[in-house]
Amino acid sequence: MASAIYFCDIKGRPLLSRKYRDDIPLTAIDKFASLLADLEEESSVIPPCLTYNNTQYLFIQHSDIYLVAITNLLRTNIAEVFAFLYKIIDVLGDYLKTVEEESIRDNYVIIYELLDELMDYGIPQITETKMLKQYITQKSFKLVKAAKKKQNAARPPSALTDSVSWRSEGIKYKKNEAFLDIVESINMLMTQKGQILRSEILGVVKIKSRLSGMPDLKLGINDKGIFSKQLTEDDTNNNATSKKQNKIELEDLKFHQCVRLSKFETEKIITFIPPDGDFELMNYRLSTSIKPLIWCDMNVQVHSNSRIEIHCRAKAQIKKKSTATNVEILIPVPEDADTPNFKYSHGSIKWVPEKSAILWKIRSFPGGKEYSMAAELCLPSTSSKSEEVQNKKPVQVKFQIPYFTTSGIQVRYLKINEPKLQYKSYPWVRYITQSGDDYTIRLI
Amino acid sequence: MPPLDKRIKKFLKNSIRIAPKISDKGELAELRTGLVSQYPQTRKDAIKKTIQQMTVGKDVSTLFPDVLKNMATNDIEQKKLVYLYVMNYAETHPELCILAVNTFVTDAQDPNPLIRCMAIRTMSMIRVEKILEYIEIPLRRTLQDDNPYVRKTAVICVAKLFQLNKELCIELGVLEDLKSSLDDENPMVVANATASLAEINDMDPSIVDLKSLIQLHVKQFLAVLNECTEWARITILGALSEYSARDGLEAQDIIDRVTAHLQHVNPAVVLATIKVVIKNLPQTDFNPNSLIMKKLSSALVSLMSSPPEMQYVALKNIRIILEKYPEILSKELRIFYIKFNDPLYVKLEKIDILIRLVDKGNLKQCSLLLTELKEYSMEFEPEFVSRAIQGLSQLGIKFSGEKFLQKVLDILIELIDRDQNSIKDDCCIAMCNILRHLPENTDMASQICSILNAWESPDEYLRTDVAKCNYVWLLGQYPENFPSLKAKVNIFLELFNQEESLTQTSILITVVRLHSKLPGSTLQSVLEKATKETTELDVRDMAIMYWRCLSMDDSEELVEELCKIIPPHLETTIDQFSPDLLEKLLLELGTISSIYFKPQANRRTRDVSYENVVKGKEINELQDLAKNELASKANEEVLLDFGDDDEEDEDELDGDNLTSVRTNKKYSALDDLDDLFNFGTTTGKPKSFKDDIGISQGINELNLRPSVDSNSRSQSNTQELLDLF
Repeated sequence: MASAIYFCDIKGRPLLSRKYRDDIPLTAIDKFASLLADLEEESSVIPPCLTYNNTQYLFIQHSDIYLVAITNLLRTNIAEVFAFLYKIIDVLGDYLKTVEEESIRDNYVIIYELLDELMDYGIPQITETKMLKQYITQKSFKLVKAAKKKQNAARPPSALTDSVSWRSEGIKYKKNEAFLDIVESINMLMTQKGQILRSEILGVVKIKSRLSGMPDLKLGINDKGIFSKQLTEDDTNNNATSKKQNKIELEDLKFHQCVRLSKFETEKIITFIPPDGDFELMNYRLSTSIKPLIWCDMNVQVHSNSRIEIHCRAKAQIKKKSTATNVEILIPVPEDADTPNFKYSHGSIKWVPEKSAILWKIRSFPGGKEYSMAAELCLPSTSSKSEEVQNKKPVQVKFQIPYFTTSGIQVRYLKINEPKLQYKSYPWVRYITQSGDDYTIRLI
Repeated sequence: MPPLDKRIKKFLKNSIRIAPKISDKGELAELRTGLVSQYPQTRKDAIKKTIQQMTVGKDVSTLFPDVLKNMATNDIEQKKLVYLYVMNYAETHPELCILAVNTFVTDAQDPNPLIRCMAIRTMSMIRVEKILEYIEIPLRRTLQDDNPYVRKTAVICVAKLFQLNKELCIELGVLEDLKSSLDDENPMVVANATASLAEINDMDPSIVDLKSLIQLHVKQFLAVLNECTEWARITILGALSEYSARDGLEAQDIIDRVTAHLQHVNPAVVLATIKVVIKNLPQTDFNPNSLIMKKLSSALVSLMSSPPEMQYVALKNIRIILEKYPEILSKELRIFYIKFNDPLYVKLEKIDILIRLVDKGNLKQCSLLLTELKEYSMEFEPEFVSRAIQGLSQLGIKFSGEKFLQKVLDILIELIDRDQNSIKDDCCIAMCNILRHLPENTDMASQICSILNAWESPDEYLRTDVAKCNYVWLLGQYPENFPSLKAKVNIFLELFNQEESLTQTSILITVVRLHSKLPGSTLQSVLEKATKETTELDVRDMAIMYWRCLSMDDSEELVEELCKIIPPHLETTIDQFSPDLLEKLLLELGTISSIYFKPQANRRTRDVSYENVVKGKEINELQDLAKNELASKANEEVLLDFGDDDEEDEDELDGDNLTSVRTNKKYSALDDLDDLFNFGTTTGKPKSFKDDIGISQGINELNLRPSVDSNSRSQSNTQELLDLF
């Protein structure tokens, strides 16, 4: 129920806008930049909704732009507005590759067209890119062509408003394949001593479908087995507690809108007609306790006013036959440290002054191995007192482990059935575990 | 694949442009030539450039007739561009659009549904009455269109028309069509019709009976729910949450039918589902252990892995839900631990939830949270640290064991020892709150006082009014623990006029309480400052009253009574909603009002701006008018403003605002009076603590403590006060 959508630059000045209703003054957006500036001056708490003169500004930030929805109705569904703003970014991302000030300015025509289709009178309408692309095409239509094949001129595909609004008919592939990626991101917060404060697994099942016609898919995973299997492998001690959690964990599944939710609810079967191309079928979350996959034993000694010594022993606590790749360990150092000096056995280390950190990269880290490094940086002889407080950032670790899932989830089968065409199809499955955006070790 | 030579030819044709190019300067004259060029490509380019100029805010309305010439084309993109242009000026120059009316009507019958939609969508946005009159036939036709895509657009046009011209909309009878669209076979049409009706109901609740319409269609809603787009689901779930089930069975049925959507990937769908479940829950027989609670709990948890803005909405709503169902997330404490890359506004909300969530009977959990909060309080973002320190004392008081509170105190002392001035405010308030919770604990009191006594110049360490007020209160409460009491009081007394009202009040009360321990001149000086120099009305009135009490002959006993009074025992520092407010908020989950915790008491009907519609002129006249406007503008090449509409708009707004401000002022003045009056009759209770315990509670207490001390005098006091006004 937004009255208008604005794209604003980093200062909050409007770049492009679309008004859906005339219940707010045209000048309302001009206030946004100054509201933002005032807030920034006052404090660093900037909530995503601002009010001025009964006008509500709801906004999200993406690269160097703000996406602002304006409304004056308090009963506006704010969750819907935010979800929609994120959807706009998604859709534009599909059309323009990158969504930033530059690309917004360059593509105003296509954006206007899209905004027209995505929302009507402030009510979100059609946001499925795959369908939009069929009648909002970025390249302009050639005049001659359009005149000749008048009937074929862009029309909304009939499937748009059907119950399968994400797939149109008549898709054809020579070879019918479906690629299934299971990606698990691990978020973990540890103390320097190795105590785990929080851990969670965020899993995503991604599908790239290259299938003809209207295929009906059925996905079987080791549904009941997932969590009990984990138990036998890792720790049998807190069997009882984990079992209790099982049910809750399972319910934390989230499905793409193509999955028949009611069918899953009653029969626990995942069935769907997939959109064409890439999409996320489902995601899940598990908060069972897990061992750190990459553990860093940190030892930091600060000799104030002279130097700081950092020792780090990293260990890949995964199966011998697995290998962690692209491991990156980001260790914070004081802002005013300089002249770094490193010793290390593997990988490469560099000092990243703009992040006030040192970055240790290890391309390949086989399971069970242990690598170590030592770094020494000089500190200025005169230092301010507050410096100690500033340096509270945790150590961040990034990694990827192919062919491995932490939760033990496995695809039992992916049945593809196209009732009319009855073709042969090939499902491919790939597993990967990686660090989430919050895999950190807190320094004392 | 066409043969290679053809492809090359095509490539050449496309890349080599014979048509003249339009430069980027965007001069009106150049654009105009471009728009009427004989080359189609140039014309199209010119339209694009025109729209670009429009985007950057330049007034290109003089080109209107030239752009309009390009409307009749088979090139859809070009048509879209022209429509875009027209729609934009529909807002600011409605008169000009009259020139396009014929094209609209033709396009509304185009074989291509996309064009039919564009025509009807644009037409219903133009605020010219004469155009609106032309809308009848196209709108009726599109409402019955074969293509659902057209129908779903048409149903929304009804709401647009209603906003522009209510009478016409009713007269045309399209509302009936709209209502029957609720029975449409296509889920998206149903959803848009629902949304459209909700809008109309919002503008004028007397026209359609939305409640009973929803009532009639609950079955359809539940049926289409599984088949429509995510946004349509949100609309339909929204309608369902307005519906009150007839009995427990139906409520249970609705819950069963919607719960599958708790697993939808779109967080807004999840939240809308939660709203429906919560609405129906009280009517069913559920217990805290039932499956539905677990499902709700895991749905709420899943919202915490959404983008930060969404998390913010979720956290605010969790805050509301928790008050109704405190057990709902009890096992999920860790989910709300702060991630170091959370935005600050999320961090602050998370601390709030953490403290509400923690089970006060569970020592282990509380201790865990305590270490976590300690960690937060050593971070570097000041707002976050401040909230964490506040959280420490809230947690301590919630758990309420002396040992535990001692731990909290140890952390606070450790924090103060880190010698950072910015946190002293918060630590001081936190410690005072702990003491107010455990007034009997003298060890703790002496420990705290000795720390605070060591501050040589507290007025420099403390910045906020509340913190200073707390500090001064402490001086009065435990004078024997402050060896340098006199010096401290004098510091504050000197700065009396610079302080804000809470601190002034607190100084006044403290000095009166300590008048036997302090030199007489101090009392004299505070009373003088408070009666003559201050600009705070409350403070002055209080001072006058004290003065009178003190100057009475047998004042000793009375003053004794006054000084004995201590603020009420602090049970909790976590604020709660009133039951009434809570129920209202639960019905508005997911809305903007739920973020501000301010439900809309009475849904204000929006002012429909009919005035904007250009009325009462014949179509010819209008056309002439438009042409004249254009001509005059073209001649002068001045960017004329069609200022009338805008100004009217603003005037109206201003008027509205003014009245509301006025009423607000009136109210606040009344409130002030009330406050003063209450104060006058009770005298004992330091106002300064009101903010801690919630104003309503504070006032109750004020009323509950009828002034024992000055019963005999109160009448005269009251009289004095009344005289003052």
